[in-house]
Formats: sequence, structure tokens, C-alpha cells
Amino acid sequence: MDEKELKNIANLAKLNIDDAEVSSMLNDFSRIVQYVDEIKNLDTSAVGDDEIYEQIFYELRKDFAENNLKRDDLAKIAPSYENGYIVVPKVIET
Amino acid sequence: MKDLIYLTYSEIKTKLNDGSLKSKDLVSAYINRIEVTDSKVKAFLELNKENILKQAEESDNRRKSGKLLSEFDGIPIGIKDNICITGEITSCSSKILENFRSPYDATVIQKLREKGFVLFPRLNMDEFAMGSSTENSAFQTTRNPFDTNRIPGGSSGGSAAAVAASMLPVSLGSDTGGSIRQPAALCGIWGLKPTYGRVSRYGLIAYASSLDQIGPFSNDLQGIADLMEILSGLDHKDQTTAKVNSFEANSVSSIDWKGKRIGVMKSEEFNFSPDVNKRYTDILKDLESKGATLVPLDFSLLKYAIPVYYLIATAECSSNLSRFDGIRYGLRKEGAGKLEDLYSESRTQGFGAEVKRRILLGTFSLSSGYYDAYYGKAQKARVLIRKQYAEFFKSVDIIFQPTSPTTAFKVGEKTKDPIQMYQADILTTSVNLAGVPAISCPAGLDSNGLPIGLQITSEHFNESKLLSFAKSVSELEICKLALPKEIT
Repeated sequence: MDEKELKNIANLAKLNIDDAEVSSMLNDFSRIVQYVDEIKNLDTSAVGDDEIYEQIFYELRKDFAENNLKRDDLAKIAPSYENGYIVVPKVIET
Repeated sequence: MKDLIYLTYSEIKTKLNDGSLKSKDLVSAYINRIEVTDSKVKAFLELNKENILKQAEESDNRRKSGKLLSEFDGIPIGIKDNICITGEITSCSSKILENFRSPYDATVIQKLREKGFVLFPRLNMDEFAMGSSTENSAFQTTRNPFDTNRIPGGSSGGSAAAVAASMLPVSLGSDTGGSIRQPAALCGIWGLKPTYGRVSRYGLIAYASSLDQIGPFSNDLQGIADLMEILSGLDHKDQTTAKVNSFEANSVSSIDWKGKRIGVMKSEEFNFSPDVNKRYTDILKDLESKGATLVPLDFSLLKYAIPVYYLIATAECSSNLSRFDGIRYGLRKEGAGKLEDLYSESRTQGFGAEVKRRILLGTFSLSSGYYDAYYGKAQKARVLIRKQYAEFFKSVDIIFQPTSPTTAFKVGEKTKDPIQMYQADILTTSVNLAGVPAISCPAGLDSNGLPIGLQITSEHFNESKLLSFAKSVSELEICKLALPKEIT
């Protein structure tokens, strides 16, 4: 793990790392990666890909509509609300 | 009459139902206790006295008019700050959700309301439930009531400390890698992580969805059993809840140790403190003298549990926490330029250091080029751990381990070293990876007067057996401890 790689990961995670933080974060992160690297010593060849997703009790709910959140209640907690809509900042760049 | 705040959960339930205690008197006594004591413990992020007293009054009125909701009507319960309650702030002890007021109730809250519990939001925690000491809260560090220079454990430290400091009889926490059992152990109380799928996670702000479970803390075992009966069950709002037989509190009864096969670990394999090691050995000797057979189990896979846990939990957290982007949820950094900057600025300012560290690790292990070596490998290792537990339960009735390798450490002692901090959960994480249930039982004090916890684990959906063994442990003289009356 080097500075460039750390910054790339941070960019994917939408987190900024300022230059003052880089060295301590790099140190922590390298140690953590080194620590989790221990699992490379474990032989997992006997485990099939299908076994990872084994869950026997999942049950899908029926597809029906029900009243959940009320619009008025949402309006109370939304930072900006106009004419029945939650207003968000502009997300399309022109 | 015994001071109200020192009543056990069972005594409270009895007195409320025989009419010798009013909920409002009890709740007022707890509020007084919190006002005097919480400046030292710092378990509460908020205390809405007016609303709490109103709930207690309503309960007393129901009792007076013979319209009780249940035998639990009027019992106070604390709520961890990551469980949504309508109209209340649910911040996950994070600046990013500092002002978030939930527009809905979590399923567990709805269930408590239906029974008439008096809800006490909101208890401090490690930010987004990430931590082993409650030092990662964005707002305050909770202290251990047995010694306020020490941590209460984490991440549900506020929930555990509030019960241990006699500020409440019961509370709710959440457990992803040990976050109920470890603070229960370090605070000398009972704490249960139910089987994955037993309790709905709807309304629990997610950290790692395949590991998180809500569970109870209590100052006696009956509180754990009653809350399990109330909280568990299929919920169509949470697809991962299981359709299994419900748990019934009256199925819990003491067991006869004779002939029971108890799975144990070789303590020299792990770095237990001498006091924890001695107590564990002494308890096992006591059980042998009562006729139990000790069966040493091969826990060598356990050394992989923490790396596997951190890879899986952080991968899920990087995904779950991506919704906090300043647009959909959470703090919005006004004045940012481009959309990408708004995301990054909001997240960078809203999340604390440990949360960022875990998001980065999760993003790393899921990223192209590393996925197979880390996340994929960890998922396969998780299958091996799950299979190993299934194998264990072919040869033993139950597994006994210490909950934590040490008793409570000092505030600040491990904050600079994330790896050392992660290792505090070495005995609890594999239980979450396997999805089995486990409880931490009080097991006496160490030479510094700090609580030791005993972790008991059983197979999936066998909470009845788990709590029956726990009940018999509660009757062992060697496990008795008293909660501190004075907090210093």
C-alpha cells in the first residue's frame, strides 16, 4: 500500500484525506492489511462458491402495498421541502 | 423498602404487578439517579424527562383502569442510539446523523410499545457501532461504573453502563462482533446476542447486515428471557428474520450439571489475563465437581476470526454507509462545488476516524484486484467457522469461554493501536460469523474489583438451552457479583 493507492481507495469511498493525515493513515492501514493477510494461510479450497450464500430460512415477503411513512412526517424531518417534494441540491452538472 | 434503583428487573416486575410500586415513582427514581450519576458515567446522550414521565403516567393510568397492555407495562428500558424511535433523534453517536429524527419505529420498538415499556432513549455507543470501548462516539466517552477511569466496553457501552450503574434495569444494544456481550462482561451484567435471524433488524441503522443483531442487557437473567420472548419473531419488514418456533421465557429452567458435556478451550492458546484465566479455570473445576464433563475443543480457527470479521464487516459497512452522502441521508456540507465534492466533503466532515478507517478497509477488500484475495477468501473462511461450530455441537451440549481476554482497560490505553483494540473481541467475533446465539454472564470480580464475564454459546435457535445453562451459572457462588452503589 502506498500513498497513491490509499488516495485511490479514498476516492472510491468518497472520503478526502489531507496531506497531514496521509502518513499516519498509511501506517494504520498497512498494519491492518498486514493483519488481515493472515487469512491467506488458511486453506479454504474445500469450500465451494455456492456454500457462501447458503441461508435456509430466507422468506420473501408478499408483494403488496402498505402505508408506511406519511408524507407530513417526512416533511418534518426533510432539510428542505416544497409542495410535497423533498428538495435536494442540484445533482446534474451542466 | 429497598432503594427503588437497586431493585432487580424481576423485583420491579413483581412489584408493579402486585400494585406495591408505581411506574412513575420508579421512573422518577431512575431520573434522579441519572441526574446525579451520569455526569460521571456519561451513558446518556439525551434524556427527555417530560416524555419519559408521560409514558410512566400513562402506564399507571392503564393499571388503575384495569387496561394493562401486558405484565411488563411500566418497566423502563434504555435504547441504544442506533435503534429508530419515531420523533426521536437517532444519531448512531455520529456527527453525520447528529440531527436525524426518525419518522418511524424499529420493529423492536413497536414490540416494546405494544407491551407498555417506558422507553429511555438514547444511550451512547461507538460511532455506527464500530468499536470495543465506547471511545469512538463523536460526543462523549462512556465510563465503566466499577471504575470511571476505565472503559465500559463497546460498542453498546452506554446501554451496558446504564444498567451497571443502576440507572435502568434493562436496555437494548446491538451486537456485530461482540458489542453486547463484551460490554456486558466488562460491566458485570447479563447481555445476549440472539441467533442471527431471531430478532428483526428493521429500524436498526445497519453496520454489517449479515452480522448485526439487536439484543438485551439486564441486571438479572429473567430480564434477558422476557425480552427475548418479546423481541423475537418473524418480521415481514426484515427478510432475514427466521420462521422458527418462538422462544418462550418459561422454557428456561435450571439444569442438572451431572453428565453435561461442556466444550472448553485451552486457555494457554490465548492471551487471557491471569485473573480471567484463573476464574475460568475455577468455574470449570466447580462444574466438574458437580458432575459435568469438560471436552476440550479445537479453537485453532479462532485466530482467523478477527481478520475474517473485519474483512466481512468492513465490506458491508462500506456499502451500508454509502447512503450517507449528504444528499440522501446525513449532514450536508453546504457550499461545496461539484456533486462529487459535496459527497466527499459531507462524508469527510461527518464520519469519525474509526468509521473512515473501516470504510477504507471495506472499499479496499471489495475493489478490483483484491476482491478474491480478501473478501472472497473471508467469505469462504466464514463457512469453515460456521461448519466448525456445527461440528462442536455434535460432541458437546454447550460451550463455555471467557467473554473477554481481559477485564476493563483504562480510557485511552488502546486508542492509538487499532489492532490491539480489535483483539479485545477475539472471543466474541466467531459467534457472529457462525450466527449462533451467545450470552455473557457475570462471573465475579478480578483482583482490582473489575467484573469478569463468562460467555456461553449454543447452537442456532436454541436460546432455551442457552438460557437454562445461564440460569444454572447464575446460581454458582463463584459467579456472584454486586453492582456498585457508589460511582466514583
